[in-house]
Amino acid sequence: MDQNQNTSSRESKEKRSEFFINDHIDILVEILKRLDGPSLGVAACVCRLWSSFARNDSVWEHLCFRHVSSPPPSSVKPVVVALGGYKKLYMVCLRPVLSRLSDSDMVRRVWTRHEVQLSLSLFCVDYYERSGRLGGGGGGDASASSLMFLCNTVNV
Amino acid sequence: MKREHCHSSATASQNNSKPEYSSPPSSALNGKAKIWVDEQGYSGSGGMDELLAVLGYKVRTDDMADVAEKLEQLEMVMGSAQEDGISQLSDTVHYNPSDLSGWVQSMLSELNTGEDMPSINGPLLAPGESSTRTSTKFCNSQRTRVFNDDSEYDLRAIPGVAAYPPAHSSSETESTRKRLKTSIGSNSGGIEVSGAVSDPTRPLVLVDSQETGVQLVHTLMACAEAVQQENLKVADALVKHVGLLAAAQTGAMRKVATYFAEALARRIYRIYPQDCLDSSYSDILQMHFYETCPYLKFAHFTANQAILEAFATATRVHVIDFGLKQGMQWPALMQALALRPGGPPAFRLTGIGPPQPDNTDALQQVGWKLAQLAETIGVEFEFRGFVSSSLADLEPSMLDIRQDEAVAVNSVFELHGLLARAGAVDKVLSSIKAMKPKIVTIVEQEANHNGPAFLDRFTEALHYYSSLFDSLEGSSGPSQDLVMSEVYLGRQICNVVACEGGDRVERHETLTQWRGRMDSAGFDSVHLGSNAFKQASMLLALFAGVDGYRVEENNGSLMLGWHTRPLIVTSAWKLASSTE
Repeated sequence: MDQNQNTSSRESKEKRSEFFINDHIDILVEILKRLDGPSLGVAACVCRLWSSFARNDSVWEHLCFRHVSSPPPSSVKPVVVALGGYKKLYMVCLRPVLSRLSDSDMVRRVWTRHEVQLSLSLFCVDYYERSGRLGGGGGGDASASSLMFLCNTVNV
Repeated sequence: MKREHCHSSATASQNNSKPEYSSPPSSALNGKAKIWVDEQGYSGSGGMDELLAVLGYKVRTDDMADVAEKLEQLEMVMGSAQEDGISQLSDTVHYNPSDLSGWVQSMLSELNTGEDMPSINGPLLAPGESSTRTSTKFCNSQRTRVFNDDSEYDLRAIPGVAAYPPAHSSSETESTRKRLKTSIGSNSGGIEVSGAVSDPTRPLVLVDSQETGVQLVHTLMACAEAVQQENLKVADALVKHVGLLAAAQTGAMRKVATYFAEALARRIYRIYPQDCLDSSYSDILQMHFYETCPYLKFAHFTANQAILEAFATATRVHVIDFGLKQGMQWPALMQALALRPGGPPAFRLTGIGPPQPDNTDALQQVGWKLAQLAETIGVEFEFRGFVSSSLADLEPSMLDIRQDEAVAVNSVFELHGLLARAGAVDKVLSSIKAMKPKIVTIVEQEANHNGPAFLDRFTEALHYYSSLFDSLEGSSGPSQDLVMSEVYLGRQICNVVACEGGDRVERHETLTQWRGRMDSAGFDSVHLGSNAFKQASMLLALFAGVDGYRVEENNGSLMLGWHTRPLIVTSAWKLASSTE
């Protein structure tokens, strides 16, 4: 299908073949799926189209579990989605957890089941705390989050 | 599975092979109870003083007396030196500044070339010459003020050597007393007090901002001793001393000393802290404690792992939480149950809490929040709250335990309070047995704050809370959290030190003692598996930058500690010789 699109677009254009990625959204998505967190953030700033895809939770789902040694069970997705989605899971828990736990570039690493489990647990605790605070008039104030220890840069 | 070396009273050096921490009672006592009082040698950490080791200075415990004397001498010499005395020092190159003995020896020899000074080992001064000079001035003015006190506060009256740096032998106690006499007599002398006089009559420096807390500790101990002996005048004087000394400290030491001094003062003046009816306030404090440091998180995660493993195949589960508070333990368990292979079981939670002063139903609010979460993640949930001022008032029949459900009992820091009333803990343990739980998870502080003698309790508590405050020092996060966590711990300190009888609820006991109690009540230990250990280790690794937490395994229980000192323990139990 891709090739057909390519050839058709090539045919429809002038002698110079132009390839405009925004015309090929499925390729775009495939590429975005393989990016790491910071790159996804950058990609989201390129244009509105890219932004809409980079913010799509399924891309982040791939990011979260891409390097896990064994694929997560299917029951994970509804839980994560209910707790705020994969992007939030990545930003709030996975990324800080993995960057703290790994010595080298975390993208290359294989993430163990334990780390993912721990991140999910912390994610759930965070959700619980935020939901409590919103109800109690805290207004989503992040300053009292139980995950603050992850977010703060440590200055010893 | 990692096994780390903890206290071992037999080691002479720090670099041994790592023996298993099996904690026979004698070594546990050696390791902890005597760390402040035993002047001849601190067991554990290989002959180096622990407190100073934390600060980065390596001082042999045998040399502590010498270290203190050398410091005094050095300070005197520097105080009496000329303005260019500092530049004399700057010529020397110091290698290995953590070796205090060598460092000050070299400084002394440099300053006192030609003077016949006895050689001593090692100062307690932090390397900062200019600040030493200001401290000399400061302490001298303090000294004048201090020693103008009424002779009723005669510190010589204190029996034992707890108040002053330890002497090598008992004969030096006399020189200590002489030292004090000289300084009392020379309060108008100012700075140059017997600079050239030999050893025994050197004036005693009681207030010194550079001193790293040895003096402070000794004064605290002396005060506690005086309180134990009902010698309240002396105790009163010492408490004020502690206040002065604590003001010269910084960081964890200052805070610990301040709290202990306050608690001692309350005990002396019999101003007991108000019985805190406002449990919501203590809940808030505990929340801040939860956020600042990993102790509670460790407790929750390890207990949850044990419960999860016990509930591996159950379809209906019922958890009884002896102290629900804000319910922070349960979201993680519910999430783990939701993702359990085979789907989540029906989850029932019974939360027990103290009565609220304003009659709000805090338990129901927590239950409602948890129910919302359960609905979000797709776990069938049921909640029941029980208000009870004491766990001993609970009857198993009230809890409506159904036939087909697997029961877990969870107690995080709730059992030690029962020891204040006779028979309460036995009643609760038999209630637990009547509930027929599949697993009982208990998290308690690892310390003996329930001994019969006040001084022992005080000593233990001082060591314990020093470690705890020390671990808080490096924590990141808003300072508001840190302050509230310290207040939370400060209330515990106050309770341990100032209260007695039924009011003293912070009756912590060691794992060994709890094990004995559980064994005799008819429970068998359940080993926490490697999953719990790994999770706990990972959790601690997340507190990056605060590199001092240690997870240890102790016969199936997991201990979280700060450096070499275990602070809290999670243990799991099941009914002995049960049918399952």
